[in-house]
Parts: sequence; C-alpha cells; structure tokens
Amino acid sequence: MTVEDTKTHELRRDLINFASYNYLGLSYRPEVKEAIKEAAEIYGGGASGSPILSGNTALHTRLAEEVASFKQKEAALVFPTGYSANIGTISGLMRSGDLVVADQFAHASIVDGMVLSKATSRFFRHNRVDDLDRKLRGFEGKKLVVIEGVYSMDGDLPPLADIVEVCREHGARLMIDEAHSAFVFGENGRGVVEHFGFEDEVDIHLGTFSKSLGGQGGYIAGSSRLVNYLRGFSRSRFFSCALSPVVVAGLLKALELARNEPELRRRLWRNVEFMQNRLRNAGVPVGDSTSQVIPIMVRDDARIFQIGEEIFREGVFINPVKYPAVGKHKSRFRMSISAAHTEEELDKGAEIIIQVLERYGICQ
Amino acid sequence: MSVDTYDFHTGVTAFFEMATPDARAILPAHLEPIEVRHQRSVLAVMAFLFEKSEAGPFTELMFSVVVPPVVRKWGKHAKGGFYPFLGATSSEESRRQRSERFHFPYLDQNIDAQFIERNGTLRVRAWGGGKPIVDMSVTQEAWEPTSHLLQGFMMNGKQRLRTTLQISGEYTVHENERGSMELFPHPLTQSLLQREVAAYPFREHWFKHGTEVFHSLEAF
Repeated sequence: MTVEDTKTHELRRDLINFASYNYLGLSYRPEVKEAIKEAAEIYGGGASGSPILSGNTALHTRLAEEVASFKQKEAALVFPTGYSANIGTISGLMRSGDLVVADQFAHASIVDGMVLSKATSRFFRHNRVDDLDRKLRGFEGKKLVVIEGVYSMDGDLPPLADIVEVCREHGARLMIDEAHSAFVFGENGRGVVEHFGFEDEVDIHLGTFSKSLGGQGGYIAGSSRLVNYLRGFSRSRFFSCALSPVVVAGLLKALELARNEPELRRRLWRNVEFMQNRLRNAGVPVGDSTSQVIPIMVRDDARIFQIGEEIFREGVFINPVKYPAVGKHKSRFRMSISAAHTEEELDKGAEIIIQVLERYGICQ
Repeated sequence: MSVDTYDFHTGVTAFFEMATPDARAILPAHLEPIEVRHQRSVLAVMAFLFEKSEAGPFTELMFSVVVPPVVRKWGKHAKGGFYPFLGATSSEESRRQRSERFHFPYLDQNIDAQFIERNGTLRVRAWGGGKPIVDMSVTQEAWEPTSHLLQGFMMNGKQRLRTTLQISGEYTVHENERGSMELFPHPLTQSLLQREVAAYPFREHWFKHGTEVFHSLEAF
C-alpha cells in the first residue's frame, strides 16, 4: 500500500503501510477507481448542495438503500463524514434532561455529539458493564448508551451481550459505532452485531465509509422512524454539502465488492492472525486486541517518536500515539492490518518492527 | 518567596472524575473546574505523611477540585491548580498553622492515617473520631525525581487568595486505572457521598522522600 512522504509529498512505494484504515484494500481496486472516473465525467467534482436541497443524486439514494440492505435494516442515512454521523445522530436524538452514557474510550465525535445534545453525559469505565449499570441506575427519562464495535486505540471489542442486557434492564436505547468493525466482523461483514448475534437488539447502527470501504462518509442504519426523524433533525447532515457523487460512486462499487467477495475478509483475518502470532511470539506487547487494529504497547512517552522515526527509516509506516490521545505511560504504535498486505509484506514489516523494539528493550 | 517548607515521607494525589455540576457547586464563582471530558470534572484526593515541619510531623488528608492555573506571561507555568474544599490533619498545631497562613478549610478534628506499601501498591486508610473516612490505593510505574509547580486557590470570607507550591521528590505517575477509593460516611466525606464521584482514579501520583514548599499567599 502506498504512502505519501509528508516532507517531500512524493509517494513512497518502498514503505510498508500499517497506518491505513483501508482494511479490505478496496481503496486501490481498479473497479473502484473506474467507477470514480465515470462519475466524475457525469457529475463533476462535487454535489454542490445540501442533501435536502439539490445535493442528493440518484447515486446518494442508491447508496443509502444499499447500506440498509447490507445491514438488513429498514432504512439508512448517509452523512458527509463519520464524525458528522455521530454528532448529528446523538445531538439530533437527545435533548436537555435526557441521559447519554458512553464508554470512556468512545471516539471524540461521540463525545462532541453528547456536548451538542445538552443531555446529561456520563461515561462508564471501558467495557465494564457493572459501571454502565451504575451510571444508568436511578435516572428517569430518555436514555441512550453509546459504544463502539472495535475501540480504535486498543483494538478490543465490547461485551455486547452483557451491554444489551443492562440496556434492556434500564430501558435504554443502544447505539453502536462500527467505524472499525463494519465490513470486517461477522460472517457477512455486518459488524460485531452480527459477530455476536445481536443485530436486532441494537437500535442504532453507525458506521463509516472511510475505513473498510476506503472512501469517505458515514451512515446510520435502523428503523424507518429513526431514519426519517434524523433526516430532519441531524443538523450536521442537514447543513452540510452532500458527499461528492464521485465519492459515492466509488463507495457503491466498494460496497458491492465487500458484499460479493467474502474472501477479502477471510484474507484480512488470515493476515491479522499471522501478524498477531508473529508479534506475540517475539514478545511484542500487543494488549488485548482481537481485531485488525493492533496496539504495540511501548509505554515510553519520551521515546515513542524516536522509536517511530527509526521504524520509518527502516521501511515501515506506523502511527505513534501518546498522551493526551492515550493515558500517561500508555504510549503505543497503532498498527492496522489490511487484506491488501501480502504475507511477504507482513513478515518483513514485523521483522523490522521487532528488531527496532528489541533494540529499545520493548519486547518481553 | 517561599514561606513554608514541609518534608514528607510519602504523598499521594489521586485524581477522580466527578460530575461537573457537582464541582461547580463546590467552587466559588470565580473558579472554573477543569474537565477531563464533557461534564466530567476532577476531584483530587491528597494524602501526605509529613515528617518535618514547623508544626512537627503530621498527616494531612485534603479534598480539592482541580481548576486551571493562572498563567503569567513570564516565568515558569504551574502544572495545575487546586481548590481545596475540605481537609483534616492529625494535629491541632498543624491545622492552626496552615489555616492561619493559607486559609485551608480544615475540619476541626484530628484524623489518623495508615500508609501501607506492599508489592508496588500504596494503601492509605484514614479515620477520624473512630470512624473510617477513606480507603484509597494507588500503584506504581517507573520512579523518577520530579518537581511540580502548582497553584492553590483559597477563600478567606469573600477574599480570593492564591498561593504557589512546589512539590519535589521521587515520583511515579500513570493512568492505568489500577487504584481504587472507598469513601465512608464521615463529616469529611458527607458532601462527596451525595455526589457522583468515580470509585477509581484515572491518574495516580505517588511521591516519596520529598518536600512541599509554599510561597506567599496573594490576594487577587
């Protein structure tokens, strides 16, 4: 996978890219590129309008329908970004006097949605259902719980069965952000809700097009009532220009490929297993990740960038993350595995990372 | 200008999330709580075992709300600001001295505290009037020498006061959420038990063998 060198603005084809969300490798597929070119010929560069005015094309409508069909939900709504999907959905649904409870590791867009909603906001300890139960207890009124399918800094999954049960007990609606898990988890790629068998128990299914589909944008899927309500009340969509039809055309093709080529997911999971085993066997601390997002726990806030530079010089592009993006002494590299990685790339990349980490005494 | 130096054997500052409306209810109108995330402010629980001071050796337990420090154009910037709203010490002399100089809001009652260090964990248990107050633990990561410049904000009636303090010593800090805190019904914790306070610290500071130096109190 190609990486642009930010210093020279040249494409570096010699780097092994473990920093991309292009989990299924669809961004580079010739069919996707061709669909984008064709749409550019027909529609030009952008939508040139809000989705409720002139910005919605037949392509946009088809994308929403395809997403609803893929997620097996009554309806879906397309947003210009994943960020706007979260803030538009949460602030559109919740009001002052309501309660929103999110996992403490929830994405900034979830937190910002909570801020905009003016609802009472609480956060439960990461993946701790007992704490969620405590935070919901005693509140009378409308309640929404927001979790993620795969947590983007740790690569771990929520205990969905237990969370569903607690939400039921408290009469709370459940929303899941499957930005990193849709098209990756589940036999048909419908996310961790399919993986755990709780597709009908979750009320609001949110995802992005910028990860596995390699494009841009976000969506929510759920009941027709939910979608119709948000069509009018999600201001981040209402007052934004619609996605470019060029992007939408690429997404439609990428979605088609993701649905029709389950071998992409199988290849991704083979790659994940290969890399997880390779790193664990070498003593690289990879936390509790059970997904394609693998944190390499360096825990050395002072030297993480130095180590990252060294890994980069040796031919691997990987994201260093440190405080305040994560807690103190929780600095790490965030590695993203793709179906597009070859075994040779994975092996070579792992070798480089392991060698550098060993020099710094990080391997256990 | 330094006015007071206290040598300590052990010190703990543990930071807990609390509801912002609760933090605002504690703070005077001119101070704003710092939020770690939307509607979550920070309660700091400090427990120090002082070995040497003008008031002799004593133990102090203090509850504060974390606020932004005042940043001046020149000079060193403080790392954080604290509004101590309720505390207690193990001796009347220490309370008298620190109340007179810094207007700390002490409960007029002696407390006892145990600092138990075992396997990288420090457990602090405090009692007052025969009743338990708090049982708190913090854990260690790597130790290193440090010096923290902080600001304390106090009130004397309607007068707004500020002091700068420097805590130096061996230090370990992390955000691995391994610590814990249990509050018990007691006049010191009464207001907190009715509020929404986390049962574990999101950040744990542990100091050893250091000094706490206070600078002159200023009205502002």
